Amino acid sequence: MIVSVRDLTIGFRGDDRDLVAVDRISFDVEEGETFVIIGESGSGKSLTGMSIAGLQPRIAFVSGSILFKNREALNQPDAELRRIRGAEIGLIYQDPLGSLNPVWPVGNQIAETLTAHGLARPAAAMERAIEMLDRVHIPDPARVAAAYPHEISGGMRQRAMIAMALAASPSLLIADEPTTALDVTIKAQILELLAEVKREMSLTVILITHDMGVVAEIADRILVMYAGRIAEIGSADEIMLHPSHPYTAALMTSAMISETPAKQELNAIVGGIPGLDALPSGCRFHPRCPRAKADCVTAEPRRREFGAVEVACFHPIVAEAVAPARTGRGAS
Amino acid sequence: MALLELDNVAKVFAQRSGKSEVHAVAGVSLQVGKGETIGLVGESGCGKSTLARIALKLIDPTSGRVRFDGLDISDFSGRRMLPVRRRLQAIFQDPLASLNARMTIEEILREPFDAHRVRLGPQLGARIRELLGFVGLENVDIRKLPGQFSGGQLQRIAIARALGLEPEIIVADEPTSALDPSIQAQIVNLLLEIQRRRGISYLIISHDLDVIGHVADRIAVMYLGVIIEEGPTAGIIGQPLHPYTQALLSAAPTLAARRRRGWRRIVLTGDPPNPADVPPGCRFHPRCQLAENICRTIRPPLRPVGGGGRMVACHLAPDQTEARGVAVARARRSGSA
Amino acid sequence: MSVSAASPRRLKAQPVGVLLPLALVVLAILVAFTLVPGLIAPHNPIALAMSDRLKPPSLLHPFGTDEGGRDVFSRVVFGARYSLGVAIAIVFVSALFGVLYGALSGMAGGRLDNLMMRIVDLFFGFPALVLALAIAASMGRGLGSVALSLSLIWWPGYARLVRGEVLRLRERPHVEAARALGVSRFVILLRHIIPFVVQEVNVRITTDIGYALVAVTALSFLGLGANSPTPEWGLLIRDSRPYFGSAWWYLVFPGAMIMMTATASSIIGDALASRRPG
Repeated sequence: MIVSVRDLTIGFRGDDRDLVAVDRISFDVEEGETFVIIGESGSGKSLTGMSIAGLQPRIAFVSGSILFKNREALNQPDAELRRIRGAEIGLIYQDPLGSLNPVWPVGNQIAETLTAHGLARPAAAMERAIEMLDRVHIPDPARVAAAYPHEISGGMRQRAMIAMALAASPSLLIADEPTTALDVTIKAQILELLAEVKREMSLTVILITHDMGVVAEIADRILVMYAGRIAEIGSADEIMLHPSHPYTAALMTSAMISETPAKQELNAIVGGIPGLDALPSGCRFHPRCPRAKADCVTAEPRRREFGAVEVACFHPIVAEAVAPARTGRGAS
Repeated sequence: MALLELDNVAKVFAQRSGKSEVHAVAGVSLQVGKGETIGLVGESGCGKSTLARIALKLIDPTSGRVRFDGLDISDFSGRRMLPVRRRLQAIFQDPLASLNARMTIEEILREPFDAHRVRLGPQLGARIRELLGFVGLENVDIRKLPGQFSGGQLQRIAIARALGLEPEIIVADEPTSALDPSIQAQIVNLLLEIQRRRGISYLIISHDLDVIGHVADRIAVMYLGVIIEEGPTAGIIGQPLHPYTQALLSAAPTLAARRRRGWRRIVLTGDPPNPADVPPGCRFHPRCQLAENICRTIRPPLRPVGGGGRMVACHLAPDQTEARGVAVARARRSGSA
Repeated sequence: MSVSAASPRRLKAQPVGVLLPLALVVLAILVAFTLVPGLIAPHNPIALAMSDRLKPPSLLHPFGTDEGGRDVFSRVVFGARYSLGVAIAIVFVSALFGVLYGALSGMAGGRLDNLMMRIVDLFFGFPALVLALAIAASMGRGLGSVALSLSLIWWPGYARLVRGEVLRLRERPHVEAARALGVSRFVILLRHIIPFVVQEVNVRITTDIGYALVAVTALSFLGLGANSPTPEWGLLIRDSRPYFGSAWWYLVFPGAMIMMTATASSIIGDALASRRPG
């Protein structure tokens, strides 16, 4: 296990009470796997992923334990976190334009990562930077290294960010919605690039997304989050074939628009995602759940084993094959 | 006769200090008929947003004509556009940004009536409630501000606003792109239901081929300022003829297809489209795996192919691309290589 | 990126510092000085009392007396409405004109906008002191001519600020949506643009009051502004010059008053600025 999260809680201090965005979640990430945290807005997925690298917002309070390579990574001093980031944990974000420094050429930023972690002398660092850019299949890497972030296209910026994240040869890559802002043809390329570098560099990847398509394509194991809690966790194959939690099933049908006959009403769940100050009692999904019963309103379902996965639900869906059929009938 | 017609519309933006002009739209013709949904699909740099704004007369085309119900509105200014705008409404991508954050929901929904001097008097309140009812928000507190609602609710409010004057056609610029997946499905259903009940036409612009494929009667695919393929939805999805359409479909397979790891998608090489630097000949040729000499020199016109209203702008279509198209469509569904 | 406006409301921001309450106290004092000086000042600010000249601070005269035996504290209290009052008037008049001008220019766009901004540039280039001297020479010295010349110097700043904001806001999605609805340009300006500009303008107005105060007092100090016996703060400092060495209180207290007011205006302006959304 390269990452071990126990009872992670992240919240914000409001005026009269605290708002809890991530509510006591626990999970492990095995070395070498692609672990995808999937959820929509307000699920707490980004907070969770970022906190593994110590990058939760400063105003948030965090409790619990995050073990990275068996060392506690939560609430460590800044200097230690900075050392871990870059050298052992690489990060890529949704918006490369926002997270790359606009006044430095791309190559310099990569080189800086290397020199900052003492992995290369300044003279050699730039060469290594160009090598990294080539590694992520950027054409004409020397030219791109000398260019500024706004001078290159969105897809290339994302590749450059991946190069920067991997420059110091980390063992874990955390990617927060890396393909969300990209065109669909570029999305495809980036996912393939991630799969490739993961293989070549023997990385563990934690990827955060709301896109079920991404999950289908690269996930080994999935963690489904809803309103700060874990809904379901298990192997991707298993969950995609037989989603047990009603929310997981709903996410899957949302992603199956192209498998529904044209103009036919889609299987959409009612209601919206609850805000942090208006969280439902008991199971947080119950107001929107077609399977909700009385016990769902009063008690919080504990996570338990259910077949080959773990699910937090009193009335999970029993596995019949719920695979997206070619005729397009949505899952129930 | 088409309700909304763009006739060979072009838009050129000048850039500062000697940089080359940006040809955002370079000769696009499009018709939206009564009760019809036209889906315009394309990626960034293709000019679809600019085209949407031309269709809404938010910007004027550099050349070409815009017609509404037969009337040439190309040169219409603010005041003359007013009666047209009553019948031609819009929804935008980011619902929070497209609503004035300082206006209450009531004021937002009232604004179209004020702008068009429709005096409802005491009926206004009831009408606002009715509109909110159409979009499933009958019980919201209309004194609240946009910041107090979720993205899905805001998009519904934006739709309610667009419906106020009972338009005949709505131009929707990426109506679901900024929403969570589970909410996208709700909004798609809402748009479909509104069309069923009221016979409204839609011009939907999106990069999301799944959504377009689900709601559109006809699809037009845009690349670098021009339409490169157009036709009935089933035909485009089932047998894309243009190499770019094929690449687009190949990049957005069904969930089932994605699960079968190891299937191959068409990879586009080369630089992404830059409207300030348009290649000669076929605009897609630098990234096309099938490009031949003619493609590099002569721009292929958009021409009818077969029957059924299909049009393609490619020298090699249909003969050299149709088999590939069928294969792509099949792989997209099932994931077999 | 998904839109979710249902985010936690009112997260605790940075702890409120000690400066803002102090600044607000100063503000309250100034308001009192301006509105009811008679109730606060213990002595007549103008009447001479030669027997009491240049007395140091005491219980009877907290700020000491000047060369005419007048209580400096009372003069400072009464002076507020001249110094601060004129500063506020200048800022408000400049802001009013500048905002209207800038809004019109921004909305008009094209050649008219260009022309209007060139005029602004002209005013910007003008040295304040030269203008003040010129106006003083033609109108005569006094707070009136100071007010006029400073207003002429001040309004272009607002024009430029507002015009920039209007240009920026015109491209915003909610303005685009309003245009698509058919809302007229005038209503768009009034309802969809101005409310968002007002916040910026308010911040600037607040900090500008401090600057304007310093400018007014400076011009009075130079002899261009208020005339004796008006207890305007800059004039007090000017009059205190011959007594710098011997009667320190005559310089220090009016000077401190100016400094405190300017600082308070800056702090309040900062507080307003940091409360802006996003």
